[in-house]
Order: sequence, then structure tokens, then C-alpha cells
Amino acid sequence: MFHLIKYNILVKFRNFNMTFWPLVFPLILGTFFFFAFGNLNDADFETVQVAMVQETDSNPLFSFYIEQIEKSDPDLLNIREMDEDTALAALKAKKISGIYYNKMTPSLMVNAHGIPESILQSVLESYSNSLHTIQSIMKNHPSGILDGLSQMADTRELVQEISLGGKTIDGNSQFFYALIAMACLYGCFIGFGSAITLQANLTALAARRCVTPTHKLKLILSEQIASFLLGYIDVIILLIYLRNILKLDFQGQMGKMLIISLFGSLIGVSMGIFVGSLGKISEGIKVAIILALSMVCSFLSGLMNSSMKDLVEKHAPIINRINPAALISDAFYCINVYDDPARYYRNLITLAGMSIIFVLASFLLIRRNRYDSI
Amino acid sequence: MIHIENLVKRYGDLVALNHLNLDIHEGEIFGLLGPNGSGKTTAINCLLSLLKYDKGTIEVFGQSMSPDNYEAKKQIGIVLQNVAVFDELTVYENIDYFCGLYISDKKKRKELVDEAIQFVGLEDYCKMRPKKLSGGLLRRLNIACGIAHKPRLIILDEPTVAVDPQSRNKILEGIQKLNEQGSTIIYTSHYMEEVEQICTRIAIMDHGRVIASGTTEELKKMIKTGETITVEAIPLEEKHLQNIRNLPHVFDIHYENQILTLRCTGAQHNLIRLLNYLQSQDITFGRVFSELPTLNDVFLEITGKQLRD
Repeated sequence: MFHLIKYNILVKFRNFNMTFWPLVFPLILGTFFFFAFGNLNDADFETVQVAMVQETDSNPLFSFYIEQIEKSDPDLLNIREMDEDTALAALKAKKISGIYYNKMTPSLMVNAHGIPESILQSVLESYSNSLHTIQSIMKNHPSGILDGLSQMADTRELVQEISLGGKTIDGNSQFFYALIAMACLYGCFIGFGSAITLQANLTALAARRCVTPTHKLKLILSEQIASFLLGYIDVIILLIYLRNILKLDFQGQMGKMLIISLFGSLIGVSMGIFVGSLGKISEGIKVAIILALSMVCSFLSGLMNSSMKDLVEKHAPIINRINPAALISDAFYCINVYDDPARYYRNLITLAGMSIIFVLASFLLIRRNRYDSI
Repeated sequence: MIHIENLVKRYGDLVALNHLNLDIHEGEIFGLLGPNGSGKTTAINCLLSLLKYDKGTIEVFGQSMSPDNYEAKKQIGIVLQNVAVFDELTVYENIDYFCGLYISDKKKRKELVDEAIQFVGLEDYCKMRPKKLSGGLLRRLNIACGIAHKPRLIILDEPTVAVDPQSRNKILEGIQKLNEQGSTIIYTSHYMEEVEQICTRIAIMDHGRVIASGTTEELKKMIKTGETITVEAIPLEEKHLQNIRNLPHVFDIHYENQILTLRCTGAQHNLIRLLNYLQSQDITFGRVFSELPTLNDVFLEITGKQLRD
């Protein structure tokens, strides 16, 4: 068996197409992801510039409210008092994002749509809500007005965003989890190549191997092990690259991540061997099937769209339970975000179970030792 | 050693093997000769249990041959028509890999691999990958992969296709040497000269069945032709052709473009009789040559067509 595995690894390792793309494509994609949104969280947030035009019937409550906002979060707004003409000129010159008109019912003027304008709108809406609250207190509990005002002035956040496992949620990590899942599934190309060299009706090489006294199951297993080892090494290289070169902080333990990658590589290779073993379909169509399979699985697990996995969970949760890429990326979530060991093990067991089914099915398909034509 | 009885293989409406019967004995170099498409490779693939067949029995080493007959498979070496080696492995690694499918003992395997490399003369190419080898060397590697484990039965399916004459001779010599070392050989080819040169017994196949079998001498004795005489640049009239046709032992004449071809039964004095007649008629002529019958003549007489048609 060792003899077979040794040579199978050598053959695959020296096959440029078989080794290069399953390794290099995820590395390239990972690098693109990194430059596209790897540093999105560190992007500088610019303070919104806004003018305040005091009308004749200016509202002191609004002035007080704005003052409090500026004090509590100095990076959010920079308010400058201006006369209307100067403010309009500044707005036109895009030196400010909006103009607050301070009157009995304050209003906002903007000349664009964007995040700064939305912030200004939210501040104004927040003022209206607060005013409504004060008016209610004055009407119903006038004695509590001071307490009410002091609590409204306390702008400390009452909700803090943390993960279930106490780890920071980085919205972009799911792209990288889906990428690792895709790299695992790319092992199917290695497995596919192995299956082709085991069928005597497809290649002379397979015919020569089939007439030897080596049991077919031994041939299949040796191919499976060699393919798995190469696929797994490819994923480990990707993990090291993401962690140590791109310096992505996955937070979870590397050991557990390696275990997920191990099961992921197993399912990838098994899928490839299974598709390669499918009856009378031409090699080109089989390649198209594994390509489509790996891409669709990765797409549904959120490789191209961050909300896809949630959408699938909402409308067809069964797909997330059997999609290998979703199971792999979910397992990463379990250790890095949810800290949910039960779900983590359930994902791994599902992956292992599916791998066993694929390998057994491949054996049953390939073990047919006599062919109708060669 | 091999007994094939009533073997029938159909591909849809096409009958590839039509009640094929074969008996191959231990120690023989048995030639399967026939034109392309005559069923030689199909017969070999059925014998190796690679192909399903519709009817018939195949016995190898006295046992029924099946895909699970690993004991029989251990004693068989196969050299397929298409070169079947790994492009990614070197010459040495390829032979070691295939030998390892039969021999698990590492030390014994190394000896056998070295011996096989020496046998096919690839000592200087051990570290080369197959893509860098010439066609002839590649064929030799293909053979080495099939024989390294010293099988009792070696099946060579057209091993000299697209091989230069030097490599072809080396391969044919090697096959004879393997036979001398105790292996029984089944050799398929559509090159009658090769089969005639090395095979101790021959079966001629056409349309999926054996149309004649025996030693070369036995096959030649089966046909009427004992000698073929060809005379070039000879002007003949119809009366001369009639007289030549009436010479003793002549059973067929052909005259075209001043070339006369005579086919005679037996091989004694036919040429002298013809030359005497030409001299008596003052007929001038160019080159004259006489040939003993070939396997092509056997095929021609039995099927009415050339072996290479």
C-alpha cells in the first residue's frame, strides 16, 4: 500500500495542472479578497461637516441637543454657525454635507445622498424623537423632567456587539471561511484525475493497472489517500498564507481549523473521485460537473455574497446542512464566532459521513471489472 | 495453458469475436496474426477479463479466468498496444511501480527492476521521463513495465507498432529470449514477417474467428501455392500466356504491364521449365525471381484478400 501511495503522490505532485491550480487559485483569490475588503474595518471615518443657520425663531432646545451630540462624540459632527448665504455657498462647494436651519421646527438641507447625509438626517430624527419624549414627560410626569433629561443626555451605548464565544465578529471573515471551503472542494480536481486512471475503458494506463493482481479497493484507497494528502497540503498552505502572510486574525485555535480543513479536503477529494467514476459521461462533461459543483457550493456558502448563506438558511436550510462548502465555513464560524462545539462536531460528522458515502459509491461504480467496450 | 472455446463478443450488431476457439500450450510463442479489426485485441481483452463477452469459456492455467482470479493475474504480464506508462515518473520509477503491483518484497523487486532495465537496454535512460524518450525507447519501456515481474505468460499486443527497424529487431530478439527463459508468449501483430520470424505456432484471424492455425510450415502446406515466380519486362502474346498456363504445376498466372506472375504448386523445377519455354520461343525478359509462399499467400488464398488490405 505504501508503494502505491508513494508513487500516486509523486505522479500527482509532478502533474502541473493537478497541483498548481487547486493550490494557486485560492491563494490568488485570497489575495484579491484581502486587498478588496481585508482592511475595510480600518478605513478612516471622516467627521461630517455641517453648517447651522440660526433663524429668527431659533430653537434653544435644538442648539442644546446638537451641542450635546458634539460633546459626546466629537468625531461625528463638526458644526459651524454661518449665515445662510455662506452656508449655501459652502454646500455648493461641497465643503459641508448639509445645513441645519435652527427654527421652532428645525430642518435639514442636503444636496447629495450618502453616508454623511444619512447621519445628519438621523441626528435630526433623533432630535424629533427626543422632543416628543420630553413633551410626553412634561405632560404626564412633569416632576421627572430633570431625571428624564439627564438620562437622555447619557449617550453611552447600552448595547455592545460581541460574539457568542466572546470573540470579535469581523464581517469579512466569512469570505475567507468560504474561500478555505472552496480550496477544500478544489481537492475534487485531484480526486477526479485519480478516478480517471482507475477505469480501464478510459485509459490504457488504467487497463494495465486493472489486469494486475492488486485488488481494486486497494487501488482506489491508495489513490484516495494520495489525493487527500495533496489536497490537504494545499489547504494548509492557504491557511498559513492567510494567517501568517496576510495577517488575518481568525481568532480560533489553529488545531481545530486544521481538523476542519482535514475533513474539508476529504469531502473535496471524495466528491472528485465520485464524479470521475460516473459511468458513460465524457471526461469534458465530468470536468464541467465538478467545476459547477465546487463553484455553486462555494457561492451558496457565501463566497461571492455575504448574505447568501443566511438567505439559504432562511429559505432552504436543508441545503446548508448538505452543502459541503457551507458545512466547512459553518464549522469555522463555530470555533471562531459561535463557540458552539455541538454544531462544530455535527458539521464534521456530516462531512465525514458524506465522504464515506462518496467513496463507497465510487468503489461500487469502479469495481465493475469488466467493461462492455474498451 | 490457455483454452478458449466458442468465444462470442458483439458490439451491437457487429460481431467482433465469432465463436473463437484457441488452445495455447506452455512454452510456445503463439502468434495471433490478422488485419486491423480482425478481433486480436478484443480476444486479448476478453482473455484478461477486461471485456465482457456474450458467450464462451476462457481458461488460463487450468482455471476459469475472471476479474477476481488474482492467482492467475499474478502470473500474467501484459504489454498493451498503446503505451501505458506514467508521464510523471521516470523510466526506473515506472518499472518499479508496475513491478510493485505484483511483487511486494522491496529487495526482490529492485533486482527484478534492474534486470528488466538491462533486458530492454534502458540503462542509460533510468532517470529520464517518458516524454523525452524516442518512440522505440518508449516501446521498450512499455515492455519492461509488463515483464519485470517475470511472468509465466506474457501477452504482447502489437508491441512494434510505429517502431524503427533497429528497436523492432531488439524487441523481437528480447521476446525470443523471454521465451527461452521459460515464459509462454502470446504475440499479436499484423506484420506477417515478425510473426513468421519468432512464433512457433500461429493462428490467423479474420472477422473474429481463426481461419487457420499451425506452425508456419503447416500453414504454408495448407495452401496450393508452393512457389511464386515473377518475370519483369517480358513482352507476351495471348498464345504464349496460354502455353505458360499449360506448363506443369502452374495453376494461376497474372500478366500486367509486362510483368508476369506465376503461382505454382510444389516448388521443384518450375523456374527451369519456364525459362526453357521462354528460350525456345526467343522471348526476351528482364529480372526473374522466385519466392516461396508467405503467410500473406496463406491469408490471400483463404480469404481472397491481402493481409494488409
